[in-house]
Amino acid sequence: MFDDMLGTAMSERGKQLLKDFPALQVLHKHDRKGVNGMIKVAEDCEEYNRRYAEPMALEIDERIGRDHDYFNWDIVKAGCQYRFLSLAIPEGVGGIAGKYIVTNMALAVHELCSTCGGIGLIFGAHTLGVSPLITAGAMAHWDTVLHEIAEEEKKGNPVLMAYAITEPSAGTDVEDPEFLAKGKIGMEARRTKGGYVINGRKCFISNGREAKYLTLTAALDRNRPLETWTTFLIENGMPGYSTPRVERKMGQRASHATELLFEDVFVPDSHVLGYPGDGMVNGILMVMGASRGPVGAIATGIATGAYNHFMAWAKTRRNGHAPIDEERIRMAAADMHAMLCANRNLFINHALVADASFGKVLAHPLVNSTYLTPRAIRTSKPMYKLLNSMAGKAFINTLLGLFISDEEITHILALASMAKFHCADNAMKITSKALELMGADDSEDRRWVEKCFRDAKLCQIYEGTNQLNRLCLYDTEISKELTVEIPRPFRAPLKVEVN
Amino acid sequence: MIQILRTTETEEYRILRGTAADYAARVLAPVAEELDAPTGTPFLESMNKASELGVLRAFVAEESGGGGLDDYAFCVALEEMAVESAGAATALLIHNAALLPAIAASGAPELEAVMGAAFPMSLAYPGQVSLAGGKVSGQVPMAFNAPAASMFTVLARSTEGIAVAMVEPGSEGVEITPNEHQMGLRAARCGSLHLTAVEPLAIIQADNEMVESLERLLHLGFAAISAGIARKAFTTAHAYASERYQGGDIIVHHQALRLMMAEMVSGIEMSRAMIKSACEEGGLAPALACRIEATDRALRSATDGVQVHGGYGYMEDYGMERLMRDASWCQIYPRPNQESLLTLLDLVEG
Ligand SMILES: Cc1cc2nc3c(=O)[nH]c(=O)nc-3n(C[C@H](O)[C@H](O)[C@H](O)COP(=O)(O)OP(=O)(O)OC[C@H]3O[C@@H](n4cnc5c(N)ncnc54)[C@H](O)[C@@H]3O)c2cc1C
Repeated sequence: MFDDMLGTAMSERGKQLLKDFPALQVLHKHDRKGVNGMIKVAEDCEEYNRRYAEPMALEIDERIGRDHDYFNWDIVKAGCQYRFLSLAIPEGVGGIAGKYIVTNMALAVHELCSTCGGIGLIFGAHTLGVSPLITAGAMAHWDTVLHEIAEEEKKGNPVLMAYAITEPSAGTDVEDPEFLAKGKIGMEARRTKGGYVINGRKCFISNGREAKYLTLTAALDRNRPLETWTTFLIENGMPGYSTPRVERKMGQRASHATELLFEDVFVPDSHVLGYPGDGMVNGILMVMGASRGPVGAIATGIATGAYNHFMAWAKTRRNGHAPIDEERIRMAAADMHAMLCANRNLFINHALVADASFGKVLAHPLVNSTYLTPRAIRTSKPMYKLLNSMAGKAFINTLLGLFISDEEITHILALASMAKFHCADNAMKITSKALELMGADDSEDRRWVEKCFRDAKLCQIYEGTNQLNRLCLYDTEISKELTVEIPRPFRAPLKVEVN
Repeated sequence: MIQILRTTETEEYRILRGTAADYAARVLAPVAEELDAPTGTPFLESMNKASELGVLRAFVAEESGGGGLDDYAFCVALEEMAVESAGAATALLIHNAALLPAIAASGAPELEAVMGAAFPMSLAYPGQVSLAGGKVSGQVPMAFNAPAASMFTVLARSTEGIAVAMVEPGSEGVEITPNEHQMGLRAARCGSLHLTAVEPLAIIQADNEMVESLERLLHLGFAAISAGIARKAFTTAHAYASERYQGGDIIVHHQALRLMMAEMVSGIEMSRAMIKSACEEGGLAPALACRIEATDRALRSATDGVQVHGGYGYMEDYGMERLMRDASWCQIYPRPNQESLLTLLDLVEG
């Protein structure tokens, strides 16, 4: 029933994907090309897993357990041929993101994490770093930073990004406007001539040490964090910027969580993404609206890996007995299967709804036509200046407001938060149950599931803890107290003290 | 630190609890991270100091130089040690379980060397081992303390039923493969054991009753260790939550976390009550029931303990993630909890 009308048979992976995601099966009837693109992503990830991740994952995890400074670049390089770093980079600047940007991302990390949560996180955190450049409509940097990432990737050189919002004294607080207003913020970006001077620390930043570029949110005035929260583009190598340490993590180890230190780091005005003061929306809520669903996909991928190894164990016959012969093991398998199914539906629902908005913008003729002008003009100084000017940003904000309504983006955030916490909780249930049932077993399968258990726990913590995500779902969808307001153009500029 | 030690323990147990807690804080806490090293055989030197507590030979009579402890006293000591290192407490539990058969066959002169064996002994159980013509052969996939063991207590099948073979690690035909990927309870490093026609140091004839008393001790022990893990999770989480400011308040005031911590307390209370009554009751069923409940609750407490710490809980430096790994391992030995549940019903049915 899944066969192409033209008679070309769909791959096994494709058929399985449509079974796993009923929504895609329906969509395939209406947009074959789009869904075939998703199948391609899943197939690429599967091949990458088989060729690179599977043979290396346990070893990398263990090596970093002993020597946490170790980072395996080969595994990142191997992803270049599949364009994993360009999944959220618009086609116009050389990437592969089209109208299914969020869905493709969710499917990619889901597939990657079914082999290794840590390796999946390297690519997931990278895209998270890319996201504010998209959500803030920072087109001035698409032709520079994003273009560089895409072009270098084609040559096999990975250029990584990271996303830095968490501070030592503010984790949950930076994820919610009401909390941020009351938060005790440590980092400050003080206004100075031609830009800002940043001082302070960020912590737990995935890919922090390896990233060439990062997107950062910070207060311009620590006493008014919400009002002055602003999104910046940071380049590794800016004087005063350093990454003093990487953490010793329980799981998802292939990707480093890093502390970032800013000591009088000068950041020029051109590196402010969107308007100053719009950071909570363009740097956090809109980003989270796109990314929390894929975190649900990460959790689901990890749990799927655990489930697969659990089933392999269950079917292994030892001394004439296979665990699956027992009814209780079959019951447990059914429970896990049902949870995975519910998870997949949750995150794919979010992804498709998100793409109805985000994808619509990226695939819009107006955006695409921009890339009909020669690159030389697009990257010229006057153009860069124009896009970075208040007027340029106002123009982009106007467009954004035309394409996406506040209600839409708020609903997307609600779906994202729901997928995130529910998938993560189920992943913990599945991995811990699998370990309990497998018992004292010295098989390789158990070793994989133990890794999945350690990897899964992180999904309840990052991108806002599961508690925060429940509150967010309540505020956005149930009580409707929180509406994400897309930054409006032509407002009075934010007043901050100049040093 | 807040008080959650409301027990009706008699003086004797209370004193032991205090001494064990003091030992754990003084001796185990500083090396707890070292004991949890991901690979290699843990350096258990510090455990020898536990002899002051009488726990290295807990069930040997005092007049014979042992601790002369009863089940509950031993559980009290294990729980207190597990607060700082569940792995070290496990090493101790296994060591004492491995001594049980020799104690039961007390007086036999060939067992003198066994009774004097250094810490830690290893218990090779459950496995597929047979005894024939005075020699043991077979394999045990997972034996705690194996790589460091001074002696193995091997449960084997023979034509006359169950036998316990005391095997020295250096004997011909003994092959020990350390488990270098152990996730939890690493201070009691596991290994798999392959025995090929090994001549044991001594053979002890055993019966079902002995196997049962061995299992009972393991169940009570892991319940006590789990209670220790849960207490550590609770006290650390509560202390952290009382200082961490987030969401406009110190986080101990947020109901989401209050619920988690309240559940930890109810789990600890339940586990301790069950341990006490299972020790008093005797028999396998109460011990089994208490082990299942206590280990399940401990995993939940540990997982929530990490959650209360947010991102910090996920890092090795805070010791919370270790609790999760250890608690998960408490659920599976000597048999996984769900399998044990079915055994429990079998026992009740008689
Ligand atoms: C491995 C790892 C990778 C990460 N990667 C990144 C990254 O790439 N970029 C980045 O910016 N950040 C990253 N983070 C940070 C992550 O997003 C934060 O850890 C997370 O948001 C929680 O913040 P926190 O750790 O400060 O915990 P806290 O905010 O201190 O929370 C502690 C506990 O209090 C609860 N709590 C807090 N406030 C409330 C409230 N109002 N109501 C109820 N409960 C509350 C929380 O749910 C939690 O249980 C990463 C973290 C980890 C562990």
